[in-house]
Amino acid sequence: MYEFFMALAKWLQNTWWALDISGSTWAYPFVQLTHFTGLSLWIGTNLSLDLRLLGVGSKRQTAAQLSDALFVWNWTGLGIAILGGFMLFSSAATKYIPNLAFEVKLGILVPLGVLWHILVQWHARRREQADNVTPFGKLAGLIELLLWFSVIIAAVSIPNYDTSH
Amino acid sequence: MLQFCEWLEHNSWIVWIDSSIPLSLLFEIMHYSGFFLLVGSTVIVDLRVMGLAARDRTPAEVGRQLFPWMWTGLCMVVLSGFFMFAGDAGDFYGAITFRLKILVVVVAVAFGLIVRSQVPRWSELPTIPAGAKIVAFLSLVLWIGSILISVEVPAISGVG
Repeated sequence: MYEFFMALAKWLQNTWWALDISGSTWAYPFVQLTHFTGLSLWIGTNLSLDLRLLGVGSKRQTAAQLSDALFVWNWTGLGIAILGGFMLFSSAATKYIPNLAFEVKLGILVPLGVLWHILVQWHARRREQADNVTPFGKLAGLIELLLWFSVIIAAVSIPNYDTSH
Repeated sequence: MLQFCEWLEHNSWIVWIDSSIPLSLLFEIMHYSGFFLLVGSTVIVDLRVMGLAARDRTPAEVGRQLFPWMWTGLCMVVLSGFFMFAGDAGDFYGAITFRLKILVVVVAVAFGLIVRSQVPRWSELPTIPAGAKIVAFLSLVLWIGSILISVEVPAISGVG
């Protein structure tokens, strides 16, 4: 399995777009910009909904109303983050594959976070139409909040697990 | 100012915090989380003023829900950012890109304050004025610019 991912990573790292990114002084920061802009939209809107579910902050809108209001840009943010993340990964794929923090982030936490977010969003839009949030809604919001913090912890730990030097 | 930065960098508390891996990690996590909360909530309000998000709610309604998170995010960013800066204050002080980053963030916050103060008035008008949309667009561009300049600081200056 590891050999398969390594072979895929080697191919990806030698594609024209990956070589363009890694070979340019200016491209890499712009790819990072894409990733962080998407993450700001995705995580910023996720945290706003989770905090509303937890009953923290303004309660002028129900969790269902807030989820509806943020829906389009929430998923647009994830799309932008994935695009930027894929390009960042492509530029140094063989370095990322053996990195434990990266494996935990992308192999476990991100898929789990996205799946949990779908559940949270579905629940908020259908079951949280009153001012007071249900106990399940609060628990779901707290779990999602912790999941995305775990993703950030794994992401900032990637340089500490870098074995390429 | 450089003398102050060097004093800060060699302050025993700062040296202790900077050499602690768990604390450095904590400030980094706080900085990223705060930044995502700050930029994410600000951008949604800006997009609403521009008529590109949550059109079934007034900009004031969207703002009332999200402005508290914008300020919470800003406080998290400033607090963690100070400790991240302090450990290498002398190097950061000399980096042009870092100074530019602070300038862009300060101007972006100023635009955020303008949007925050004017959103209730804009929401009462039959249509959002073109000037308001320009202010919101500039706010959006400034926050995206702040991300760009933030990633350029280590790329160009090698600091951070």
